[in-house]
Amino acid sequence: MTNQLFTNIMLTLIWVMLSGNTSIPNFGFGFALGFVILYLTVRGVDNRRYFYRVPRLVRFVLRYIYEMLKANLQVTRTILMRKMDVAPAIIKYPLEAKTDFEITMLSNIISLTPGTLVMDISDDKKVMYIHTLYYKDKDSFIKYIRLNLEIKLLEVIR
Amino acid sequence: MTLYYLLYFFALPVNCIAMILVFIRIYKGPTVFDRIVALDLLITMGIGTIAIYSIITKQPLFLDVAMILALIGFLSTVAFSYYLEKRKDND
Amino acid sequence: MTDILFIILCTIGSLVTLVAAVGILRMPDFYMRLSVTVKASTIGSGLLLLCAAMYFNVPDVTNRAMAIVLFLILTAPVAGHMIGRAAYMGKAKLWKDSKLDELEGMYDEDHHLRSGQSKKELQENDEKKADIQP
Repeated sequence: MTNQLFTNIMLTLIWVMLSGNTSIPNFGFGFALGFVILYLTVRGVDNRRYFYRVPRLVRFVLRYIYEMLKANLQVTRTILMRKMDVAPAIIKYPLEAKTDFEITMLSNIISLTPGTLVMDISDDKKVMYIHTLYYKDKDSFIKYIRLNLEIKLLEVIR
Repeated sequence: MTLYYLLYFFALPVNCIAMILVFIRIYKGPTVFDRIVALDLLITMGIGTIAIYSIITKQPLFLDVAMILALIGFLSTVAFSYYLEKRKDND
Repeated sequence: MTDILFIILCTIGSLVTLVAAVGILRMPDFYMRLSVTVKASTIGSGLLLLCAAMYFNVPDVTNRAMAIVLFLILTAPVAGHMIGRAAYMGKAKLWKDSKLDELEGMYDEDHHLRSGQSKKELQENDEKKADIQP
């Protein structure tokens, strides 16, 4: 896994040096080229994990940007309307992520989405307290975050 | 040329108005925390203004200032909140 | 042609910054101000820096601008989390129309956070047990 990532980066650097053009699109093109070469050369079922992970990461980033734009538009509309349609609440959210790294990434992602904010994480790392602007009911909020953010994130990291 | 006019007569004034609004919040803010958040926002807006200004003057060196400003903004916010959390009596 | 891209980026960036400023002025309580402004300002400054990076189009300037954007995106949630936590301990009030506050009474005296029942519920349970036993 790390081995293949390292090889991919080396192939990218070789491509950039040979083509002599250090712009960012060229780096991206070199990375894609190295990825295709690795995909064609690596054999064995055990070594295939890297090739599922990179497309999943790209899909996750695109989906996250879409969610962020949607939430941003909602917050903008709320701010500019004459009578604000807010219903703030602090909700207890049971965590499925276990290690420190997973919890850190999850809380960063939740905090970057406009309208939600992580207040604190309990000492035994089982529960997270989230402040939200648009509260309808507890179950739908927990379901939304679990389906849209947590499961997708854990798929990429684990 | 249109880009120059847009930056000079739209982007800079809009950022300036936004900064004035944030200053009103710093003046009004009921608690200390409101003022800290407003200061953090002010620093982030300053970074954006520096980016605009570096395009207008065609001087990429200004971006170094923006980098240092981002560092100072983050450190000051964290230091303030740490200090306020440890303080015993909150007035 | 690329001028149009710069114009779009700069306009959206400035407007998002303005919306963040209006938000911090209009929102009724501290937590709502926090959750609205920090991210909006990050996105606004990020777009303006992206515009600068694409305008100069020299590798070292582009790398510097991208480093600032990455730094802003990484640090904004951490700063928001810390100041929100300090404010809750410092008893910044929630808005009067807040729907639900599940964090109430969850902090111990020495700022440890529990995950199960709050202090009040534990006390009530103890009282019930005391009632039953004699």
